[in-house]
Amino acid sequence: MNTRPVLETTDLKVAYGGNLALDLPRIAVRERELVGVVGANGAGKSTLVNSLLGWSRGSPKVSGKVLLDGRDISALPPHERVKAGLLLIPEGKLVFTQMSTEENLASTADDAPAGQGRRRYSTDEVYALFPRLYERRHHLGSQLSGGERQMLGIARALRLGPRALLLDEPSIGLAPRLVSTVLETVRSLVDSGLTVLLVEQNVHAAIEVVDRLILLERGRILAEGTASEMRDDPRIAEAYLGAHV
Amino acid sequence: MNLTQQLVNGIVLGHAYALIAIGWTVLLGVARLVNFGHGQMYMLGAFVTWYGISRLGLPYILAIPLAMLVGVAVGYVMQRVMLQLTLKQDLVSIMIVTLGFGYVLHGAAALFFGSTGQILSTPLSMEDVYWGDLWFTYQDIAIVIVAILFFAALKYIIDRTRLGRLARMVAEDPQLAELAGINVKRVYLGVFAFEGAAVALAAALVAPRTPILTSMGFDEVIITFVVVVLGGIGSVLGSYLAGLALGLFVAFFGAFVSPAYAMAAAFAVLIAVLVIRPGGLAVSPGGR
Repeated sequence: MNTRPVLETTDLKVAYGGNLALDLPRIAVRERELVGVVGANGAGKSTLVNSLLGWSRGSPKVSGKVLLDGRDISALPPHERVKAGLLLIPEGKLVFTQMSTEENLASTADDAPAGQGRRRYSTDEVYALFPRLYERRHHLGSQLSGGERQMLGIARALRLGPRALLLDEPSIGLAPRLVSTVLETVRSLVDSGLTVLLVEQNVHAAIEVVDRLILLERGRILAEGTASEMRDDPRIAEAYLGAHV
Repeated sequence: MNLTQQLVNGIVLGHAYALIAIGWTVLLGVARLVNFGHGQMYMLGAFVTWYGISRLGLPYILAIPLAMLVGVAVGYVMQRVMLQLTLKQDLVSIMIVTLGFGYVLHGAAALFFGSTGQILSTPLSMEDVYWGDLWFTYQDIAIVIVAILFFAALKYIIDRTRLGRLARMVAEDPQLAELAGINVKRVYLGVFAFEGAAVALAAALVAPRTPILTSMGFDEVIITFVVVVLGGIGSVLGSYLAGLALGLFVAFFGAFVSPAYAMAAAFAVLIAVLVIRPGGLAVSPGGR
């Protein structure tokens, strides 16, 4: 495994109206690595992935650096970060509901260079990865199920040639069987060369597929380690308010 | 009463209404924005065309693109000024800013072009066509043909091209569109520039039907409002049909009842339609 980080942050701080929501000295995701970020509600997981892309539905104050392949992209607007190869699949609304699956998959970054370590999946390739989407290719996004939308969200990102993929809570609203399917697909994408930062509240599901796990609490890193190191770490249960996780 | 003549009048008027409204339709459909300076932009388009022909000596066919270029510039500047409001979708402030812009345009136009009325004569508006009992001008024919071509082209672009797809993505969810690598600010600027060009084209074609004044614009905003809302917000096909329906309604109401109350009656119909079908007359609200 190449040890150079594909995605790295230094001194990342995010504040909403004076309240510090995130304060991370450093996070690094190496080539072909699947790093999971877990934590209870309000731990700062979504804030982390959104700030990596400079994207937010609110107006937070963000400081610190975000590096992609060593290049500082902190000053770039979200669409430029996307063109640089950093793709976010947000929680909630994943697809354009008034467009068909086919239209959702029509790449919007046709002029984006493939670049080092970037692979732009063709429509046929994403259909091979998600055969269900091929069956539903003429359906509008609004007619797709939650699982299908999740697949389409990932497929859309793959069409744009990600250098690193950020996934925000892909398990939300999905049946347990579908959660496993989606996360196993993400794992297979990593095995075939993709670099992924996965934010997930479902620790059990996440720990089965990630290489490393970062536990956040109140916007700070509480614990970090490989999946096997973290599997029985009591701090995870504590972070989830003592609940059985 | 010549009913066929009223039908012709209604068709011409309807295409004129649709053409005047098309810029706002796209603006509302893509950017979810309103522009209450639309009427003054129409006025400016008419006066720039008049200036091009009567002062610069340009042929009509060159005065039209000149008016459209000025429209693009005005639309671009307007959006540039209020880009932050647009991104925040601060509709109340945008309404006030565009209304203010309209008054600035009105004042600037009065200063530059003078406050007296003018006649925008074109080679087409001076050529009458008599066909049996029917009368119209070549200008009327141009309005209908250009409106049909413009709407067909726009419908094709929005439904079938990459540019149209980008516009629809921004229209549905600008923040999600950003995640697809789309420069949303540029799309907003482009949409306003398009609106400026479209309303200038409409003015260059429609304004020769009546005397032009720098104080005009209010009627055009009202007509646009009715067409856009009746057609279903942002629906290109809906706007075309609504424009045509409004034109026919005004022509026949004017002939059978009184032209003085035609617009009031149109608003009564608008209210009824909105009560029965809140999304307008379009097949599917928000459709294309």
